[in-house]
Amino acid sequence: MKDMLPYRYHPFNEIVELEGGLFQVNMGPQHPISGQGRFIVITDGEIVYKIEMDIGYSHRGIEKILENRSFIQGIIPLERMVMLDTSNIVMGYVMAVEKLYGVEPPPRAQYIRTIIMEFNRIISHLYALGLFAESAGWNPAIFLWTTADREPVLDILEMITGARWSYSFFIPGGVRADLPNGVKERILTTLDYLENRVRVYEDAWIYNETFRMRTEGVGVLPRSKAIEWGAAGPNLRVSGVPYDTRKNEPYAAYGELDFKIVTHTAGDSYRRGWARVEEIKVSIDIIRQAIENMPEGRIRVALPPKPVEEEVLTRVESARGEINFYVYTEGRDRPYRVKISPASFRNFYVIEMLPTIQTIRFADVPPIIYSFDPWFLDADR
Amino acid sequence: MSPSEFINILKERFGDKILSYKIQGDKRIIVKIDSSIVEGFASFLKESGFDMPITMGATDFIKNKVFEIFYGIWSSQHDFVILFKYDIPRDNPRIKTLVNIWSGVQKFERETWELLGINIDGHPNLKPLLLPEDWNYEEEGYPLRKDFNLKRYIAPWGDES
Repeated sequence: MKDMLPYRYHPFNEIVELEGGLFQVNMGPQHPISGQGRFIVITDGEIVYKIEMDIGYSHRGIEKILENRSFIQGIIPLERMVMLDTSNIVMGYVMAVEKLYGVEPPPRAQYIRTIIMEFNRIISHLYALGLFAESAGWNPAIFLWTTADREPVLDILEMITGARWSYSFFIPGGVRADLPNGVKERILTTLDYLENRVRVYEDAWIYNETFRMRTEGVGVLPRSKAIEWGAAGPNLRVSGVPYDTRKNEPYAAYGELDFKIVTHTAGDSYRRGWARVEEIKVSIDIIRQAIENMPEGRIRVALPPKPVEEEVLTRVESARGEINFYVYTEGRDRPYRVKISPASFRNFYVIEMLPTIQTIRFADVPPIIYSFDPWFLDADR
Repeated sequence: MSPSEFINILKERFGDKILSYKIQGDKRIIVKIDSSIVEGFASFLKESGFDMPITMGATDFIKNKVFEIFYGIWSSQHDFVILFKYDIPRDNPRIKTLVNIWSGVQKFERETWELLGINIDGHPNLKPLLLPEDWNYEEEGYPLRKDFNLKRYIAPWGDES
């Protein structure tokens, strides 16, 4: 096996000279902020010849673990896939189980789920924005700001679910608990606060001339290639493909709420960062509507004894993009096979292919990679 | 075009090579095809506007001695997903790559090769992706196969599942 990987002989050297005057630069596997994984960048002078995403440093075999757990037990290991965005990930699996059993959760549960998922999207996007700002050489203060602004949201999530990150709150058939007293007022105050903060980000950073000059026109992903390579999430939408699972295949309460999806045609690093700020605004809008239209009623229904369907493919829009679950069951209380296709796994292929269509300079590699919001643990599973 | 219209087109074109199909809602077709028509079927899908691969993998049906390969393709034109599946024998798992039709399946096929031990002819980049570099396939086997020995990995204090 090792014959095929000449450059893997030097895993700890930072820079290795290859044949033909090329240099291999290992970025990682230790990154201070974004999990373990290595970008192998092969450069010809300053020009990037090839990027390879070396993942698998935190492969936990979640698909195999799920095969050996009942549906409910599987939720807990599954959350470890992306700790920033646990509820969106779990939603895909829970929805698959609900479709296999043929149950429809009550409307109130769907609205509570929507609120939690949108808050998760906000905290995940805030973190992604911090990473992107830092990778583009921006003042590290932006990262500290976004991290601090996640706190009030985490407090609300703790109030609703009892935990800050891994809630295990969505279960097949509904949610574990109803909204506590006084949470609505708190949510509305926090949303006002976040709206002001988003304005601060825009003034200080997103619409800042220096930042635009640094990232505009860098790492352009054209529409045809975005589709061909299978880009996901905001990265796909800013390349001119108006696909958002929340809109195209509504799940939870998204079908009943009125919101717009953020699209653009430029497809460069700048717009990928911009799209995340715009999506935070959309999420704030969605949460307000969900609070206003929250129906009364039950929060959970029981599952029938046996699954009625054999297989199902569900798609969910997580913060990093579409994640889909193919679940096959033999009629027992556990899946026979689960195939998870996370967004980062697809986006990594897009990053690898980018140097084939345009000239990329080495200094632009970090902003390009972090504009895609990569999450190694997401891709590793 | 709706899924039911598209399934009629497929039945007309491929006849009894379409072994079975299911339509779930208005966004999904799950179709099982004969393994002899895979390439023709895939290029027909591409011509019909199914341009974005969203998933690919395989299921190990150890009792029937087959691997079921599946590809999920979304169409930006028609906005629904077709999941097509076909069987290959388990004792000689070998498929032809579809990278030349959908570039985006490259990493998924690489992962299937690595975790299920399915040989993929014509794949441009078959290298270990998720497993450790020194993973011993003879001793430890392929993790997502059903005969993978999980007992090796049970913690000393047991496993409650």
